[in-house]
Amino acid sequence: MPFMPPIVRAPGLVRGFVFFFVGACFAFGLSVVTRAAYHYSDLIDGDSITRIGMLAAPLFFLVGLGAFDYWFRWAAGKPTIPEDHSGHGARSWKDYFRVNTDHKVIGVQYTVHSFVFLFIGGLMAMLMRAELAAPGRQFVDSSTFNGLFSVHASLLIFLFVIPVFAGLANYVIPLMIGAPDMAFPRLNALSFWLLPIAGLMMLGSFFAPGGSFASGWTAYAPLSTSAPLGQDMFTIGVQFAGASSIATALNFLVTIITMRAPGMSFFRMPLLVWANFATSLLVVIATPFIASSQFFVLLDRALHFHYFDAGQGGDVLMYQHVFWFYSHPAVYIMMLPGFGIASEVIAARSRKPIFGYRMMAFSLLAIVALGFTVWAHHMFVSGMQSWIRVPMMVTTAIIAVPTGIKIFSWLATLWQGVIHLDTPMLFALGFVTMFTLGGISGVVLAMIPIDIHVTDTYFIVAHIHYVLFGGSVFTIFAGVYYWFPKMTGRMFDERLGKLHFWLTLVAFNVTFAPMHLIGVEGMPRRVADYSQQFAGLNLAISIASWVLGLSTLIFLYNIVTSWRGGPRAVSNPWRALTIEWQVSSPPPVFNFDTVPTVVGGPYEYGIPGAVHAVFKTPEVPAAAHAAAAPAGGDGR
Amino acid sequence: MIVVGTLASAIGIVLAYVIHWFPPAGSKQAGPIDTLWHVLLIVSIPIFVLVVTVVLFAVRDFRVRPGQELQDGPPIHGNTRLEVIWTAVPATIIACLVVYAALVLHDVEKAPADPASELRVTVTGEQFAWHYEYPASAGGKAVDTDQLYVPIGRSVHFDVRSKDVLHDFWVPEWRMKIDAVPGITTGYRITPTRLGEFPVVCAELCGLGHAFMRSTAHVVTQARFDAWIAKQRSST
Amino acid sequence: MEAAAIAHGHEHHGPPPANRSSRVDASTLGMLLFIISEIMVFGAFFTAYFFIRVVQGDQWFPVDGHKLPVATAFVNTCILCSSSVTLHWAELSIKKGNRNGLRAGMLATFLLGLTFLFVQINEYVNIGFAPHDFAQGSVFYGLTGLHGAHVAIGLTLLAFVNIRAFRGHFSPEQHRGVEIPGIYWHFVDAMWIVVFFTVYVL
Ligand code: HEA
Ligand code: HEA
Ligand code: CUA
Ligand SMILES: [Cu+2]
Repeated sequence: MPFMPPIVRAPGLVRGFVFFFVGACFAFGLSVVTRAAYHYSDLIDGDSITRIGMLAAPLFFLVGLGAFDYWFRWAAGKPTIPEDHSGHGARSWKDYFRVNTDHKVIGVQYTVHSFVFLFIGGLMAMLMRAELAAPGRQFVDSSTFNGLFSVHASLLIFLFVIPVFAGLANYVIPLMIGAPDMAFPRLNALSFWLLPIAGLMMLGSFFAPGGSFASGWTAYAPLSTSAPLGQDMFTIGVQFAGASSIATALNFLVTIITMRAPGMSFFRMPLLVWANFATSLLVVIATPFIASSQFFVLLDRALHFHYFDAGQGGDVLMYQHVFWFYSHPAVYIMMLPGFGIASEVIAARSRKPIFGYRMMAFSLLAIVALGFTVWAHHMFVSGMQSWIRVPMMVTTAIIAVPTGIKIFSWLATLWQGVIHLDTPMLFALGFVTMFTLGGISGVVLAMIPIDIHVTDTYFIVAHIHYVLFGGSVFTIFAGVYYWFPKMTGRMFDERLGKLHFWLTLVAFNVTFAPMHLIGVEGMPRRVADYSQQFAGLNLAISIASWVLGLSTLIFLYNIVTSWRGGPRAVSNPWRALTIEWQVSSPPPVFNFDTVPTVVGGPYEYGIPGAVHAVFKTPEVPAAAHAAAAPAGGDGR
Repeated sequence: MIVVGTLASAIGIVLAYVIHWFPPAGSKQAGPIDTLWHVLLIVSIPIFVLVVTVVLFAVRDFRVRPGQELQDGPPIHGNTRLEVIWTAVPATIIACLVVYAALVLHDVEKAPADPASELRVTVTGEQFAWHYEYPASAGGKAVDTDQLYVPIGRSVHFDVRSKDVLHDFWVPEWRMKIDAVPGITTGYRITPTRLGEFPVVCAELCGLGHAFMRSTAHVVTQARFDAWIAKQRSST
Repeated sequence: MEAAAIAHGHEHHGPPPANRSSRVDASTLGMLLFIISEIMVFGAFFTAYFFIRVVQGDQWFPVDGHKLPVATAFVNTCILCSSSVTLHWAELSIKKGNRNGLRAGMLATFLLGLTFLFVQINEYVNIGFAPHDFAQGSVFYGLTGLHGAHVAIGLTLLAFVNIRAFRGHFSPEQHRGVEIPGIYWHFVDAMWIVVFFTVYVL
């Protein structure tokens, strides 16, 4: 295509959009040709074109963006461009908008991108609360309302909590284990770029004929198999988000297993690394199940399969089994990295070694293992075989034990420490307390007779938000504040940070605590309208939720202004021992000159002169460079 | 700290008792369930208070003091005895709760001593309404209506079905619920113990009208029930 | 602090060599983990099979008089299995430095795989029922179709290996590019045997 201007020929967003358009045309053509081949009378069918388009156009976009350039060359057996590291690192803001192979850039891409979706998803919550402020119809009809909570939950789960943890880990893990980058940098870039596709698809469903997908984030069949076109945007969007998760998890596992610095034995790894190791195991094993569940739905919808059609021999409950076999582990995917962040922050800010390090690591693995054995606790009233319920209740309740070990170990770490109550620490402590409450309400839910009454009520909504907001989001805030100096080289405003914390803590509790009560009293979830008896509390909840929204704006303001003009951060503002703090803020493009050597545990606070890792002076770099093909550089 | 914690737990438990959590109990099954709930509250509140108290006291007692900015805490790496305790105690609590809950479950689902006396009602959900069918009996033909009438004090078994998507048959006052699943018949039984009219709520998202898929359960005396059903049998 | 000063002291031109903390090769490990994921995808499709055939208790084939062509499928199974053998032979050849052995082996593998796919498609055309006729049909097409898609992916990888082999890549020391797609292909074969037994034989 020599007649095209270079900006269209070179990999990048422009070429991406051109290819996207080509992909859309391809989908159109494919659909028409197929229908012609099967002798359909109407050749142009919007639904089928959209479905094929949603699968094909994003892939074309990625090709245009350049995510596959290297692999194409490799596959064709052409000499691959010698690694000049041109795709590595960011020199201007524009470098964040292209395929970049630097784990630090990708980490920032992930994090910022996820927060955009926090605000979008949060805004939907605000609209929902406006509708729910009083009984009767306020602003939206019930189809829009169903769409709002479905998209709210899907965005916050698949585009905020899961990826933001992956983003923070992406930034920190290679630094923490003393690796120059992730094992597969190009795969890493690809997994990021799959996300905006998923996000825009789910958001775009609001423009679909028939409205956005409206069967909840659980998308139970057969409601989802008979819903209008918008449902496909969930079904297909999840495939992209899921592929992204799996690719990142695989990358983390390989990086952690094969690229640790000398001396970094498994039991010298910081707990954040352990947590992401455990999480990645969950992702690799469980995520295929949600992908499959949505494949089934897609096949039922698009090609009229009968997986979930009871009239044709299908099995409706099978959907729920497959879905929860992923989605229960998914709740730990959304919590374990947070446990890791809490461990880092609490150890560094109370200046004490983590209490019971080994048990902390083992309890993570225990949660992973148990997490696969409890899925049917979401199905106590689903009408499945009743004998499954009691075993599932037992396994579910047992998870309180390893989780309890973690909570108590954090408490013991605090005890006798020298506690610095700055913003990250406040959020970590907020997490410890609020998550305990959410976890306990989980144990209450596990008790079948109680669950029978409160399932599908606001009690569940309360549980969800205590664990996901009080748990995951609090640790996310802790992590973002904690690593903000490292990622940006600037300090945030401590006073605003504290204000953010206190406002969030109070507004959060006023918003979500009363939901326990209205749930037990009998208010079902997923309703746009409710009986007069719940009016008072719902109004209070709505008002508090808007304050919660405002508190998030303080965070936004703090982050944006500090990033642009905050005071310069020193390399180790928290005086932490883990390796990411031993390099400059922000770290150099290739992290280290030579990889560090680990000589002790990561949390040896209080032992005079103890260090976790040392940098030996580089010995003859030339030879070393030649000898070690950078791991993954020519991996595949 | 122990004093404060105990006090706070006590206050918490009293508060939790003062709150009217449940709608009024309307079935025999509600009793054990409500008791289980209160037991869970008594167990949970101290655990939560414990965690919060330790955090607050740690922050009060060990917060950095002027001059300590560069100091570290003592390098304590663990304590096996403590760790065993906080594994074993929750495990024991959990074990007790699980056994108790399983007993309650058994209790609320067990069949009445005389199964023949049980009233069977078939409940069918469809977008967005409930139907109730009373089987034919010596007294007359089957009844199909959108009204739910049940006699007080007699065990009722609901067979729950769906015509289209998932629904969920729930009367909050009775405490029991079950999904209506296309293709299979699910169900539960309750014994109403309170006269009156209670809302029947669809508790599983079923589409646009989910929030409005309501009907009323009338719990009446056996005599009124007999009269009602006789009238239905003759009118249909 | 001193370390930090060294770390960002001067701009340099490439990353430091990473430490190898495990004897497993990174790409091989990546492929193995990916296969775990793939097994779980099949696991979910087998769950559907299990639910519809066992939990739901639907009659398995013959359904509505439609039988599954077990004999054809068996021949096809043999074809696919033999492709694993040729693949293994190709790998052995390149380890011994026999480039032509590699080429012949890879080409044979590719062609055998392609034959499998053609037979499969032909089976679909002649089988007489469609996925939308009954749930058993959905499960049948779902499982075999999923496997077919994996064969297609595997063939794409094999095509790359072929291109590179015929361009003279790979040597006794450097043949990870054969081994890793090879692992995947063996997995696809093994999976077929499971699919064949559950769907056609049992
Ligand atoms: C971050 C996400 C997250 C986490 C970590 C959890 C953790 C837990 N969850 Fe939760 N859950 C969700 C997210 C999460 N959940 C979501 C999103 C749903 C709703 C999905 C939907 O339908 O939309 C849900 C729904 C849900 C249900 C189904 C309810 C229903 O729909 O009917 C159940 C039932 O058993 C349950 C139980 C539990 C339990 C037992 C834990 C345990 O892991 C908690 C363990 C922790 C503790 C117990 C606290 C600390 C421990 C101690 C201090 C030790 C001492 C404690 C005791 C002895 C009790 N959850
Ligand atoms: C990580 C996950 C996560 C997070 C962070 C949140 C955050 C919030 N959620 Fe959500 N929620 C879920 C996950 C989450 N939720 C899930 C899984 C469900 C179940 C869905 C289902 O049933 O399928 C659910 C369902 C759910 C419901 C029940 C809907 C129903 O069943 O009918 C409600 C109702 O109040 C609710 C409210 C809120 C509120 C007020 C917040 C707040 O915390 C949000 C605060 C953040 C912001 C507000 C963003 C920042 C501010 C702005 C963008 C500026 C605008 C500000 C103003 C106008 C003041 N959520
Ligand atoms: Cu019927 Cu909700
Ligand atoms: Cu769960």
